[in-house]
Amino acid sequence: MRALQATFLRELRAYFVSPLAYLVMCFFLVYNGAIFAAVISVLNDPRSGGTERPMDQLFQGFFFWIILCFITTVLTMRLISEELRSGSIEVLMTAPITEVQVIVGKYLAALTFYCALWVPTVAYAGIVARYSHVDWGPIAGGYFGIFCLGALFLSVGVLFSALTKSQLLAAIMTFVVLVAVLFLIGLLDNLFNGEVAKQALGYVNLFGHMEEFHKGIVDSRHLIYYGSAIFFFLFLASRALEDRKWR
Amino acid sequence: MIEAHDLSRRYGDFTAVDGVSFTAADHEILGMLGPNGAGKTTTIRMITGFLPPTAGRVTVAGRDLFESPTEVRRHLGYLPENVALYPEMRVEEYLLYRARLEGLTGGEVRAAVGEAVERCMLEEVRHQIIGTISKGFRQRVGLATAILHRPEVLVLDEPTVGLDPKQIISIRELIRELGRERTLLLSTHILPEVELLCDRVIIIDRGRIAAEGTPESLRQSWVGNPGLRVTLKDAPEAAPATLEQIAGVIAVRAGAGGPGSFVLECDRTADPREEVFRAAVERGWVLLELARERASLEEVFVRLTTHEQPLEVGGAAGAGGAAGAAGASGGAGAGSMSAEDGADAGGASRASAAGEAAPPPPPAAAGHGEDEVPS
Repeated sequence: MRALQATFLRELRAYFVSPLAYLVMCFFLVYNGAIFAAVISVLNDPRSGGTERPMDQLFQGFFFWIILCFITTVLTMRLISEELRSGSIEVLMTAPITEVQVIVGKYLAALTFYCALWVPTVAYAGIVARYSHVDWGPIAGGYFGIFCLGALFLSVGVLFSALTKSQLLAAIMTFVVLVAVLFLIGLLDNLFNGEVAKQALGYVNLFGHMEEFHKGIVDSRHLIYYGSAIFFFLFLASRALEDRKWR
Repeated sequence: MIEAHDLSRRYGDFTAVDGVSFTAADHEILGMLGPNGAGKTTTIRMITGFLPPTAGRVTVAGRDLFESPTEVRRHLGYLPENVALYPEMRVEEYLLYRARLEGLTGGEVRAAVGEAVERCMLEEVRHQIIGTISKGFRQRVGLATAILHRPEVLVLDEPTVGLDPKQIISIRELIRELGRERTLLLSTHILPEVELLCDRVIIIDRGRIAAEGTPESLRQSWVGNPGLRVTLKDAPEAAPATLEQIAGVIAVRAGAGGPGSFVLECDRTADPREEVFRAAVERGWVLLELARERASLEEVFVRLTTHEQPLEVGGAAGAGGAAGAAGASGGAGAGSMSAEDGADAGGASRASAAGEAAPPPPPAAAGHGEDEVPS
């Protein structure tokens, strides 16, 4: 446990001393700020008809999903690839720490930094609340959804980072897989009309989940879905890390 | 205490380490010698638990590596060949992290880091970022990491590579000091280092142990008969014949120092220096030099690890291999027959290797500073 904690703190600190992390943070805030400004200006137009839940606009649509995939990719690509490339994995894995602890420690650090990225965006809700009525329930649901999605995406990123020495390759694989799977499932969900197919796809359709989170609905099925998927990817990542021994 | 039993490691079809067994006792510095690619690093990685062996067993500090890997690692300090650190961290920060990773808590952490910084002479770079310090300092940070948790067993893979001569001396002093307190396995290809530091040596070649023993016993059993270097001024024709008459002299060869220079091959127990001196005085020869040739470990090394090209595998290389096996089983007591066989095979292959791309250095170069042995 102590080893896991040490790894977690080291990784977290590594984020805060790396220029890339600050670059990502800046970009992320500018990006979200721009979307927020666009949403507000559209809603201010009398022809738009307005909305009951202005914050929703921020957490859905193509731009939201792309930045989500992008951010999680950038945050995880370095995590294990870097250790494999530089060779520091050798001193790490000869310390009294298990593969699972390494993976979980690094994953939690990435998740923490990811959450820290989103914290400033709460200000947008504050701004809206200053001038208009805000229903905090759905907003909290939306943030919870962001947390769940991020947690899932980061676990995928950790897996790919454990599979290759090359950060770039890890990043490309993570991003492509996330985007492809995400949009493919969304597309299939819209294409199929069969009862069973609809239900199955609905269960894994992340767009659908997010919509429900926005309404403030937190379905335990979704939580189990995210929990088991994260467990699965992290398990694979720790197996990938162990596998290097046999090559 | 490290015990390796019949360790083997295969990478696909390639066998990197093939049935290596050895024991390093408490308070012993065991040297591991071998040309590049002999399987030293693979062996070391199996002992530290970084690589699992394909076959065999490792016991470190009384615990089986396979059964309790985490517990073993707690008692083991390791300096890998390529010291990879996190370049964005500060030295002290990194050591604090490592101390916590090793399971130290509270006050222990600071105390351990303080001690390691002091022992590895890192005070001046303590607050610097690792990415900005020199290779020598990084090596020392790696060493500090290895000794942080005061492990019973230390494994150092080429600890002095990339250091300047002054740093090498200080690191060697530190290694000697560390070896007094614990078991230390030291891999190197710098031969003088082995002679300076190690109580016992194993020579690994092509994944097998070619010889094992103290540096002294290896020298005795592998280099054959001791030589005596004699240089005479204006040596007369009769000199070789006269010298050969002296009791204890087996043969006289021409030395490297020109016409008046000879090397007398002597009986192992005899010291004919006095006789040589008298013979020279009686005949009025001017004796310019009279010295015993001390066989170097380098010569042992070259003889044990130089092989014929594949074309002649059945010949001299086979003899070398057989001699190696004899050395491994018989240690210092290996019969003189097999020792000579080994020497002959080594000599022959040395001659043939000289025509190849990478000739090994002649034995005469032995002992001159930090000569490295090419593979």
